Amino acid sequence: MNTKNTGGSGDVKETLRHFVTRSINFPDLGDDDDLFESGLVNSLFAIQLMTFIEKTFGVEVDADDLDIKNFRSIDAAADFVLKKNLAATTS
Amino acid sequence: MARPVPHWLDDAQQARYAQFKEFVSANVEPFAEDWEREQTLSKASLSQLAASGWLGATLPVEYGGKGWDVVTFGLLNEAFGKGSPSLTSVLTVQAMHAMALARWGTREQKSKWLPRLASGELIAAFALTEPGAGSALHTLTTSYSRPAGSDSLRLNGVKRWITCAQIADVFLVFGKLDGQPIACIVPRDSPGLSVEPIRELMGFRAAGLGTITFRDVEVPPAHVVGKPGFGFSHVAPVGLHYGRISTACHALGMLRGCVEESVSYAARRKIGEQTVGEFGMIRTLIARMATDLQAATLLCLNACRSEDEHAADAFEDAFVAKYFASRAAVSAASDAVQIKGAAGVHASSPTSRYYCSSKITEIIEGTTQIHEDQLGRMILGRSGPPPKPKGGA
Repeated sequence: MNTKNTGGSGDVKETLRHFVTRSINFPDLGDDDDLFESGLVNSLFAIQLMTFIEKTFGVEVDADDLDIKNFRSIDAAADFVLKKNLAATTS
Repeated sequence: MARPVPHWLDDAQQARYAQFKEFVSANVEPFAEDWEREQTLSKASLSQLAASGWLGATLPVEYGGKGWDVVTFGLLNEAFGKGSPSLTSVLTVQAMHAMALARWGTREQKSKWLPRLASGELIAAFALTEPGAGSALHTLTTSYSRPAGSDSLRLNGVKRWITCAQIADVFLVFGKLDGQPIACIVPRDSPGLSVEPIRELMGFRAAGLGTITFRDVEVPPAHVVGKPGFGFSHVAPVGLHYGRISTACHALGMLRGCVEESVSYAARRKIGEQTVGEFGMIRTLIARMATDLQAATLLCLNACRSEDEHAADAFEDAFVAKYFASRAAVSAASDAVQIKGAAGVHASSPTSRYYCSSKITEIIEGTTQIHEDQLGRMILGRSGPPPKPKGGA
């Protein structure tokens, strides 16, 4: 698993935004818009997003992290990444 | 003969691929016709496969697996795919079950089940499809319930077209608990579980397909994989992803077999003073299938490498590889039979086996049409929503 981006909140959010808009190309998407209620994502998007987060930010998503609140929006996913990175650095 | 695999495979991958092909040539291809005719794999074949350790090809070493990369797993499936569709299907579903468990299982689940799956002590199956539901997962009706006062779940429902159901020791069973998608490990010897064989398939005849009925099967809470609510969105996709990679490479193996059989026959068989290969229309068929073989090889290895790189695009790459390779195998098998004529239609001819089984690779792990729908959605999704209408009439 690569760790390419462990930067601050802005960097993480920007990286996530780039991935999401590359996947669904919806430039008007807000950072707090619900990705799964938008109707724009395909059925594989949830696991593609999770895989992207793991590879890009070097965090491991385990079964305990399976909570839609962690991946619902760009904001939520950025918060999740920062929390996981914080947990990793303090453990 | 078919061209060698790409030069960028490393020495270990090349050496293992040679080992797989040698094993298949000696232990699989000579018996494949018998297995298909008898509609069962021999115990010896399963024992040999288990002893090889290849059922745990991609499982971590700490759980008894080989810890190989996915490219090597793809080469394994390609080599077996040329030899026997039915034995390859054991590799496919073992990986589907085991890799979903390796990804989402608890430490206890992994310690308990994975070493036994890696060693082949247990044969696994992936119980997803139902009589009335396949790719539309939300329509599955298999249900888990939690009786009052019990920690355990109760499983009821019917699964159909389950590969290896006849021989599997353990199933990963998908259903819903209070409307939430869930996946659980269910051993075959669970009271209330019964398997009815499905026979007389056109291909994959020894793959042990079956219908599984669950009547009030008790499932301990320790057998839930992942979390309720994520069975379809996270657990199933991991298994199906490995299933697609395996099936794509399986089809690739059949495609290679078609090219090798066709070239060998066309160069040897004479019609009057000319070999079959001297006829332009035969060279056209061989050119098409050999070109497809190269394209499919690159797509399959690209899908494997994407998964090795843990790329988010790996899922799409596996869709593309399976979509292309399975259709190319069907086309090549038809042409290979055509080239060999009467010699190609008898069950003793590998081309007959490729013809009957290649079509099934267009159906399992999502039909060609489902792949077109999904890929079309992925590609169109990137173009964004339709433009908003401008104001005014």
